[in-house]
Amino acid sequence: MKYYLRLGFVLLVITVVASGILAYINSLTEPIIKENQRKAKEEARMEVLPEAVSFDSISYLNEEVIYAGKNNEGKLAGYTFVASLYGYSSDVKTMVGVTPDFKVNKIKIIEQTETPGLGANCTKPEFQSLFEGRNETVMLVDKDGGEIVSITGATITTRTIANSIRTGLKFLKEIEVQSEPEEIHREEVTE
Amino acid sequence: MSVIKEFTKGIVKENPVFVMALGLCPVLAVSSSVENAIGMGAAATFVLVFSNIFISLIKGFIPRKIRIPSYIVVIASFVTIVDMVMEAYVPALHKNLGLFIPLIVVNCIILGRAEAFAGKNNLIRSIFDGFGMGLGFTLALIVIASIREILGAGQFLGYNVLPATFKPMLVAILAPGAFLVMGLLMGLMNLKKK
Amino acid sequence: MEFLAKIFAMAIAAIFVQNFVLMRFLGLCPYIGVSKKLDSALGMGMAVIFVMTMASTFTWLIQTYLLVPLKIEFLQTIAFILTIASLVQLVEMIIQKTAPALYKALGVFLPLITTNCAVLGVAILNINEEYTFIFAILNGLFAGLGFTLVLILMAGIRERLERAELPRTMRGMPIAMIVAGCMALAFLGFSGLKF
Repeated sequence: MKYYLRLGFVLLVITVVASGILAYINSLTEPIIKENQRKAKEEARMEVLPEAVSFDSISYLNEEVIYAGKNNEGKLAGYTFVASLYGYSSDVKTMVGVTPDFKVNKIKIIEQTETPGLGANCTKPEFQSLFEGRNETVMLVDKDGGEIVSITGATITTRTIANSIRTGLKFLKEIEVQSEPEEIHREEVTE
Repeated sequence: MSVIKEFTKGIVKENPVFVMALGLCPVLAVSSSVENAIGMGAAATFVLVFSNIFISLIKGFIPRKIRIPSYIVVIASFVTIVDMVMEAYVPALHKNLGLFIPLIVVNCIILGRAEAFAGKNNLIRSIFDGFGMGLGFTLALIVIASIREILGAGQFLGYNVLPATFKPMLVAILAPGAFLVMGLLMGLMNLKKK
Repeated sequence: MEFLAKIFAMAIAAIFVQNFVLMRFLGLCPYIGVSKKLDSALGMGMAVIFVMTMASTFTWLIQTYLLVPLKIEFLQTIAFILTIASLVQLVEMIIQKTAPALYKALGVFLPLITTNCAVLGVAILNINEEYTFIFAILNGLFAGLGFTLVLILMAGIRERLERAELPRTMRGMPIAMIVAGCMALAFLGFSGLKF
């Protein structure tokens, strides 16, 4: 009996020491991880809407904040939102910058694990630039009658991205056209 | 002299991947690019060296009966440390390796070395053994990843190395390519042995 | 009805589209190691289905009711591997006492399962994918089924390969890998399948 108690005790000591060390390291790395995630999103926002210098949150889409960006004169420079849909083998998330007249300014794929060599080519700049200047009515792949040329061998990925952006644009237009007179209120909303 | 032997045996003669066929899951899963391969190799080597150090230090205090559970706790702790540190400092690589970082815990190489070597040998020899095995594992990963990345994407470490006229053999970086390349390499090793 | 459809989609995904062995590269050691004979492949497969379902259940409970409330998610890896190891021990003891026939069939495979990365893999995936309790259990079950399917297919092929005339250097492991590669090619046909 005593022997088994000793076994349990030794194992307990090892586990407790290990947990203590892990807790300490976790307390060091956790803030860095959070900061990294925040920074990555902020950088993506700046990239898709470079004219904006400050961002105000206005609503939510796909559990992410929709921002309205202002330029250095305090005028509306555009919006950013995160489009997200399930593609061929993973969720594809795209940071979308939108001009004030609801056209895509720039996009950046921020999360995907599609097939390497096929769907994963959606991260290439040549592909992402296809979306620039398009509005929601033409935000469809060519096979569906839109203007987005699909990646060779990865129509599903392309369609996913186009559809997720179209949904986002529609949603944005809806809330923005409605809330236009309440411009003043919007600025009070903070993250 | 014998210390150097502990180091070099893991690289060639007892190479954990090609000769002992251990830890195949991460080898096949993350070898679609050389960058991932190096990251995985480094993470596994870190865990191997530190769990070897720790286990050879505390082996005197652990009763035989709870040897394996204790080793598992030690290994799992170092794996968690690697996981947290990588997420903080190399988030992109951490995301690529994903599930396979926590799965280093069940990598047979690490528990195998703890049980077969570090639990029986002194500190210095255990360190060299861990380094050698880790390096052998990393090199094997890099060899497979190089073949797959060059054939499948025409690239090496993300740089184009083949002329633009080369049409990448996509299958090499997809799942089947991992098995095929591994099988052919193992066959090649057999050929050399005979 | 929608619930059933979701379960069906999940089954197809876990068994074929994202097959644990061929597409996710989990559980390769037993896949190569225990696929020489059809009966042992069957035994191993059954043991894995059982342990994966149990492990999914318990690790989900531990994550949700212990690690998250106490804010110690960073101990996930340690907690899960210890849970799986003790679970396997427990199952082994219970089966040995209550069902000797079953123990005879599965007994030798159970200890091997602790270090099967597919079990820890499914446990972590369930948490990462934020499955509900029921779906976590089902995912464990289906992943186990997918593993068993390819294990049995492999064993069938390898029993025949024994009699094939192969170059000496390719016998054993190398040809098993090539066969696995061909199977993965076939399974690649399932990818992109959606309901």
